[in-house]
Amino acid sequence: MPRLLRLPESLRRGAPRAFAFFALWLILHGGGRAGLAVGALTAIAASWLSLVLLRPGGRPVAIGALVRLALRFPGQSLLAGLDVARRALAPSLPLRPGLVPCPTRLAAGTGRDAFHAYLSLQPGTLPVVMRDEATLLVHALDLDQPVAAAVAAGEADFSRIRGNADG
Amino acid sequence: MSVLIDLFTLMAVGSGLLFFLAGTIGLLRFPDALSRLHALTKADNLGLGLIVLGLMPQAGSALGALKLLVIWLLALFAGAVASQMIARLVQGGRGCGRG
Repeated sequence: MPRLLRLPESLRRGAPRAFAFFALWLILHGGGRAGLAVGALTAIAASWLSLVLLRPGGRPVAIGALVRLALRFPGQSLLAGLDVARRALAPSLPLRPGLVPCPTRLAAGTGRDAFHAYLSLQPGTLPVVMRDEATLLVHALDLDQPVAAAVAAGEADFSRIRGNADG
Repeated sequence: MSVLIDLFTLMAVGSGLLFFLAGTIGLLRFPDALSRLHALTKADNLGLGLIVLGLMPQAGSALGALKLLVIWLLALFAGAVASQMIARLVQGGRGCGRG
């Protein structure tokens, strides 16, 4: 793509982000002529900051895998909320909380941070901290549940977004 | 039709409030900080999601409904990231990497 390469790298990388930030501004703030100008400036500033803080990744995002994950999310969220509500409201307080060491293969970085945030919204799992480079300590409300298996399945699903078929 | 929509709103917002209540009860009853984080990240996020779902048909425009959805997503994002940071602090920052 010789034409794209002639553009400054930051512009090529930043333009999609600027459009996304501007769309977010329009949704949250609405239209209006004065608002549009402020929104455009805000979107440009936000894109610049995001390029500084979050450098563009190498591999493209697999949209199909991302959509599948997003479609499954409401159901998982419902299961997670029901599970917590059931335990919180039961008179006997059925909990067996504890930390479960889970093997993980994601390298340190934004992808891993995103996976941990995603995992904290899934039923029964709350990632706490990396014990070492290959082991994630996950907090579970019930140690009798198959926590490590759920984390492994989640990691496999999540890794497909970045195009790793085997996680 | 509008009665049905209102009924849907009542049911969704009502169940959302129940999940907020359950999350708050969990926050009070669960024995330790990490267990309490489960109550916050899971029950409350679902509660907010159900309230948003119930309010979307009442927003009056597609843009208004989209705005509600984006607010939920932003709250999810903030909740997930904040719970991560609190969990790490509770654990005393042990371990390595940016986790």
